[in-house]
Amino acid sequence: MIVEKIFDHISNWNKVWFGLIFLGSVINAVLQKFNLFDDSPYVLVFAFGAGALIGLVAKIRGAWL
Amino acid sequence: MRESPDIAADFSFEREKAIAKNFSQRFQWEMILIGLGQAAIWLSLWPLVLNGLLDLLTGFLIASLCACFAYLPSHEAQHGNYSRGNPKLRWLDSFVGHISLITLKFPYHILRITHMKHHAYTNDPEKDPDYANAHNTSVLKVIKNVLDGSTLQFGKYVEVFANDKAFVNAFHQAIPLAMLFKLAPMVLVIIYPLETLLLWWLPAKIGSVYTTVFFSYYPHLGTSAGRYKDTRFWSHWMPRFVNHSMQLHFIHHLHPSIGHYDEPKAIEALKPFLVAREVPGADQIPDKITFNPLIKI
Repeated sequence: MIVEKIFDHISNWNKVWFGLIFLGSVINAVLQKFNLFDDSPYVLVFAFGAGALIGLVAKIRGAWL
Repeated sequence: MRESPDIAADFSFEREKAIAKNFSQRFQWEMILIGLGQAAIWLSLWPLVLNGLLDLLTGFLIASLCACFAYLPSHEAQHGNYSRGNPKLRWLDSFVGHISLITLKFPYHILRITHMKHHAYTNDPEKDPDYANAHNTSVLKVIKNVLDGSTLQFGKYVEVFANDKAFVNAFHQAIPLAMLFKLAPMVLVIIYPLETLLLWWLPAKIGSVYTTVFFSYYPHLGTSAGRYKDTRFWSHWMPRFVNHSMQLHFIHHLHPSIGHYDEPKAIEALKPFLVAREVPGADQIPDKITFNPLIKI
């Protein structure tokens, strides 16, 4: 039952999780590598927020592209 | 197989099968080398890049090349073309099939069972798992769908083949590996974000696009259902050596046990049968295929 719920959650929210974790990490790494927003304390929030937002938009649209 | 009365005895299925069998016996050592070799190269990129011995962009290019070479060795394994019916060698099919697909992040068993259904129901809109790719309206849409992940409808085919116990069991057997391939990049990306993106995620996408365009789309474009009608001979500006000779994919659909590198010779021998059976494009097959790039400008 719990496994089923986990599977349901993953299949329903996988785009948002992917956006938050994968895209967020990549955006954060790119921002740091190119010293963008260097003096801002909110780089991490921006990077992971942008990733999660992209994922959320993909979930609402039902497709990434 | 029931023969059409229009087909002369010279071109009977039995004779065709006997000729094809001559090309279905050789040990496919090249494919094993390519499959395990690309996986080993891909794996070695990680320590090389992480230790600064190799530039990340160079690593990305090599990883993308590895990903483009990843599917075909697994495909031979899916057809049992390494063991060739020898139960003692069946492990080799599974071993090469699994290892080769790590670069593409696909579980072997899911690709194996869906590919078998693709062969059994080629061009059937309901039952062919490759139908959405093979019958898309343009190559750009195929690329978009693969990048999007929207053509991976494995769940749909579990429902379609719900009565096929072997299919369902193999599907469930592959779930842990499928989960691992989903989770591993998500964990790796936290520790090595750009390396995960450029050594695994993006190359796997590029490899999937390459594989889908040349294995699913072009060979079945504009074809219908039926043993001799569902795959075509085609050619374009690209030399066949660049796209894994998928111009010749039709012979694989007719005789899946013919080894990939033996297909040119098999087609040369079987050409009269292919023309008599009116395989799409068969009249344009040149007499000599071996070392012929099959360019059409």
